[in-house]
Amino acid sequence: MLPLALSGVSISFPGLAQPVLSIDDLSVPAGGRLAVTGASGSGKSTFVNLVSGLERPDRGAIRWNGADITTLSESRRDRWRAENVGLVMQDFHLFPGLAAIDNVLLPARLARAATAEVKSRAHELLSRVGLARPEQSVETMSRGEMQRVAVARALLRRPGVLIADEPTASLDAEAGAEVGQLLLELANQEGATLIVVSHDERLTERLDRRIRLADGHIVADTAMRASS
Amino acid sequence: MIRFVFADLRRLWAASLVIVLLVALATALGVAVTLQERALRLGSARAADKFDLIVGAPGSETQLVLSSVFLQPAALPLMSGDVLTKLIADPRVDWAAPIGFGDNFKGYPIVGTTTDLISGTTTGFSEGQMFAREGEAVVGSGVDLPVGAEVKPMHGTAGEGGETHADSIYHVVGKLQPTGTAWDRAVLVPIQAVWHIHGLGEDHDHEEAGHDEHAARHDEDADHDHEAEAHHEGEADEEHHHHGHIDADAPLDEDFDHEVPGLPAVLVKPKTIADAYALRQAYRTGEGTRAVFPAEVLTGLYATLGDARAVLMYVAYGAQTLVAAALMLIAVIHVAQRRKQIGALRAFGAPRLAVFGIVWLELLLLVAIGVGAGFGLGYGAAEFLAGLFTAQSGVRMPVEFTTADAALAATLLVVAALMAALPAALAYRQSPVEALRG
Repeated sequence: MLPLALSGVSISFPGLAQPVLSIDDLSVPAGGRLAVTGASGSGKSTFVNLVSGLERPDRGAIRWNGADITTLSESRRDRWRAENVGLVMQDFHLFPGLAAIDNVLLPARLARAATAEVKSRAHELLSRVGLARPEQSVETMSRGEMQRVAVARALLRRPGVLIADEPTASLDAEAGAEVGQLLLELANQEGATLIVVSHDERLTERLDRRIRLADGHIVADTAMRASS
Repeated sequence: MIRFVFADLRRLWAASLVIVLLVALATALGVAVTLQERALRLGSARAADKFDLIVGAPGSETQLVLSSVFLQPAALPLMSGDVLTKLIADPRVDWAAPIGFGDNFKGYPIVGTTTDLISGTTTGFSEGQMFAREGEAVVGSGVDLPVGAEVKPMHGTAGEGGETHADSIYHVVGKLQPTGTAWDRAVLVPIQAVWHIHGLGEDHDHEEAGHDEHAARHDEDADHDHEAEAHHEGEADEEHHHHGHIDADAPLDEDFDHEVPGLPAVLVKPKTIADAYALRQAYRTGEGTRAVFPAEVLTGLYATLGDARAVLMYVAYGAQTLVAAALMLIAVIHVAQRRKQIGALRAFGAPRLAVFGIVWLELLLLVAIGVGAGFGLGYGAAEFLAGLFTAQSGVRMPVEFTTADAALAATLLVVAALMAALPAALAYRQSPVEALRG
């Protein structure tokens, strides 16, 4: 469970006069649940990339539990992310040809972190997300099932923060609702800070706080009534 | 990582198979050329091993060796039979034996020679025994005739057609153990039979040869000669060549101290190496003769063979370079196409080195399988060609790997490992953000 603090963060892309994202001050307490909304091109994906350490801002500090990840090298940020961040993406990014269980374990295996304990946790997570056949190949799954595999993978190494980028956008309403419910439940059970970037009102309104981005700035910041 | 690599290769099995095939064929080309050339060299050297010194009439040294050691059909010029008489009497000579060609049976060359040569160049009989009479024959291990079979000599070399020597029949009395030489496919008969069949070494020829000093000895043999002639009266006119036929029951006569007819080649076994050089010197400059060490002639041929091999190896290197270039192209395009997957791997926590390792390992694995298959394929091809060659010539061709081949395999793999590092580095440098944005 990690608290997040951004201060004076700004990032520009070559050829664009305005910064793509500029956030002076944003804090999320440990275990907090933040929804990020905004139109396409408002800086949502850049926000995800910055707080997950995939990208480095031009200026400012991004502190997770007090440690500034912007000062880390690319390889160190990779390792930090592997240990602390669970990512769920719109496109699942599962690997065809591998079984569900192998997809869940793949990043851990590549990082040589797949201990026996991690393996048994992988099985446990798959059953918790409602998948009964860990050996099923992911190509044969529905999109909703694929996203559940992705959720299990994100939680495998007990990350302090769970970041989901449009997790329901490529699913039908029913599957989307189920995956949204899973994210909330599991983040709660695992005690992970949750950041969800989404258009999906039904998902975002169930989080503690919602910020809206426009042209790279926070234009609205609403505390939500806790509903779950 | 291995599990992921295998899953990946299994998923892309068709492309992987094509890559393996390309690598295998390019490797096999070089391996087959190397093995084949080595087999040819070893095989011919072993086949010539027992042939220390060959004496023949002046002419092509290469042809003399090819005809006597490898029994390659060719019309060799004849030298005077006196040479054999002199060689046998020479104190530097352990033994000397005539080699007479001209006839064949079912494609097997019939070679007239002596018991000295047979016992001196072979390891013994697998069946039967040495010929003891003029009408008896000994066959090499590669001749498909049982002991007791009849051999009706055809004049001329295999494939030329030619006529049979009517009435002349040899009986096979022994089969030799394999020697791995061209002589395994030969039918060996007493040289006197070859002479008699061609009407040499008998009365009417002696007049032409005109060696008066042997007249006395000749008279002693007169009885036998007349007897022999009596057998083939009446067929003399229908012959194309000096034609006679064998006296099947005549005892073996290996006394070559008089009236020896002209000979294409004599195999000489010198007593010592010094004797060998002295003899070659004596007969190289001698009147109407030529003396060669087959090993030396072969060495000259190997140089030519080596040149041919060099050319073929450059072709093979060219093919390997083309395959390597094609492979690089495929690999780089492949990495570009999988930008997203590679980026995702890193986003989800795979270290950069693991990403590098996956791409590198996949390529190296394919190349390694290809190189392995190529060695097998090249070996198979060389074995097949050697088999064809052996069936045709009798010379056993040892197709074998040496440590130099292991070095070749290692070199190919090291080059592959270095080259695979390029696409792997591209994957390593792939920014996960860019990949995921797509």
